[in-house]
Amino acid sequence: MPFATIVVPAYNAAVTLSETLESLMAQTFRDMEIVVVDDGSTDKTAQIAQFYVRRDPRIRVVNQINRGLAGARNSGIAAARGEVIGFCDADDLWRPEKLATHIAHLKASPEVGLSYSGSALIDEDSRLLGHAQRPRLHRVNAAHVFKRNPIGNGSAPVIRRAVLDAIAWRPATETLRDWVFDETFRQSEDIECWLRIALLTDWIIEGVPGLLTEYRVNSTGLSANVSAQLASWERMVAKLRPAAPSFFARHEATARAYQLRYLARRAISSGDGETALDHVTRAFTESRRPLIEEPLRSLTTWAAAHALSRFGDAPINFARTVLRTARA
Amino acid sequence: MSALPHVLHLVDDATPGGVTRVLAHIQSCPLMAKAGRHSVRVISRTGQLPKCDADMIVSHLSLNWRRMPALIGFRARHATTPLIHVEHSYTAMFTAINVRSKLRFFTMLRTAYALFDTVVAVSDAQAKWLTERRLVSSQSLRVIAPVVDLAGFRALPAPQGTPKVIGAIGRLHRQKGFDVLIKAFRALPNPDLALHIHGTGPDEDALKALAGDDPRIRFFGHAQRSEDVMETVDIVAMPSRWEAFGLVALEARAAGRPLICAPSDGLSMSAGPNARYVKGLGATAWSAALLDMVQQVSPLSETDRVSACESEFAASWQDLIDRHTSPAGETGTVLVQAA
Repeated sequence: MPFATIVVPAYNAAVTLSETLESLMAQTFRDMEIVVVDDGSTDKTAQIAQFYVRRDPRIRVVNQINRGLAGARNSGIAAARGEVIGFCDADDLWRPEKLATHIAHLKASPEVGLSYSGSALIDEDSRLLGHAQRPRLHRVNAAHVFKRNPIGNGSAPVIRRAVLDAIAWRPATETLRDWVFDETFRQSEDIECWLRIALLTDWIIEGVPGLLTEYRVNSTGLSANVSAQLASWERMVAKLRPAAPSFFARHEATARAYQLRYLARRAISSGDGETALDHVTRAFTESRRPLIEEPLRSLTTWAAAHALSRFGDAPINFARTVLRTARA
Repeated sequence: MSALPHVLHLVDDATPGGVTRVLAHIQSCPLMAKAGRHSVRVISRTGQLPKCDADMIVSHLSLNWRRMPALIGFRARHATTPLIHVEHSYTAMFTAINVRSKLRFFTMLRTAYALFDTVVAVSDAQAKWLTERRLVSSQSLRVIAPVVDLAGFRALPAPQGTPKVIGAIGRLHRQKGFDVLIKAFRALPNPDLALHIHGTGPDEDALKALAGDDPRIRFFGHAQRSEDVMETVDIVAMPSRWEAFGLVALEARAAGRPLICAPSDGLSMSAGPNARYVKGLGATAWSAALLDMVQQVSPLSETDRVSACESEFAASWQDLIDRHTSPAGETGTVLVQAA
């Protein structure tokens, strides 16, 4: 039995899957298996996965008709044999020491159930963008998870199976296997799961230093789903509120403000000044806490949203170009 | 044969709840009287703990950092007296929902439990948690499920016909999850169903507001005799967010009432294998499960009505008392010293 399983949900990932798998095969921690879940891909994902199965006996493939990211992860968890389970989406990369680092962390800290790290952001061509997610690593409680999601993205955490077992359930409509991620969510499925771990189990969530994941961001099509993303975030809140009403009474407004600020930043990235301004205004109407807790980030978001809506995206693009040139 | 050992029970929560009722049972049960002379002392939640003269002291106290100095002093002044702690409150789900700094909380528990010769868990789930979190070493851990006098519940006839009255019994506190139950119940279309809520507590107003003008939901306050309450309900619902054991579940089984509950902590033990478990506290899932339950023609009721639990409880305590109070040479004390 391998000690660790890495679940790779893959949907039409023919372009990126090979790079992802090679980054996983190169992990310095060797006692592991890789479960690729081909989530009903219509491109060459299946063939590429099979190609790697022949190259490395530690790789297995699970095929299913499309169920979405959460459904693919759940199938991967059901097929996993490891005591700890990591996730790496089929367009992200793991740096070679990632699995070893998390496993050392989990072995040294028996109370820690979910170990995560920061991520470096890469573009479509796997070039480092120079940006990173550098989350808070220690003394993380449910409020931190709710407000700032330090775990960051779906390719960051490595989780004990016991944690996933503790939050798993079998919906009445499901006949095959348990759900860990909620498959009714098409967005916010990560944070919904992490927050359930934080609220409904007594496992500690903790980070390790370093940017051990390379997380791919696409520049296209960001703004269009800002409102859909907010809607699914609200649905998550409505779903989890009964589990801990007093927690939500205390933190919901602030968390919503952070969420709105995050969506404003995404709107800024895609040059949608109107959406950005709308969201940043709503954010600080909802709660002033982000201004107190993270003044710099809050004020730059506010200023950028105003600048973008007033002057268009030329100044921001100019600033970006300058920054990129300066870095290069 | 010398006189029976004097077992002193310390408690700091004298409100009419589970702990008080279990202690009343310990003092009144004839089987328990065979194991020792039991007395109960109610002490303050703060300040020093008294010097006690007994052959064995059982703490039913609530542990916290503030209590720690007093607890250490108490251990020092009773260095040769066996000290037992019964953990009535803390569980995995309690920690998940209520504790902000989990590591600090675990350190507190580990430190406090280390002062006792034996720690008694009230359910298998709690014991599993205490072991997995390395809060108590497995050799100083025991599981003794609490019990009260169930004769009055066993005497009740099992409910007949289609179930009509869903009972929610317990403190009106978010722990019990009655808010979820009220929401789930309000979504049921059946006009002839009723939800009867028995108990008082800090959330009474909020729960009444949640019940709104639904005439099927009634609040009854706290009843003197639990048997009388149990007699009036057909189904018992326990959507608890955390529950170290859940005596109401045991009483419902003794009374032959079907149970629907959350699988929180000790409830999976006290509610038994025949209970209907609803995972997660979603009102929709609870509505569906309630509907399914009231539509069952013959509610499955426990045939044995947990007949053995009082004797098992007494036997477990007898064993624990013997182990700690019988003369050295054949007891566990020696093993511990040798180790």
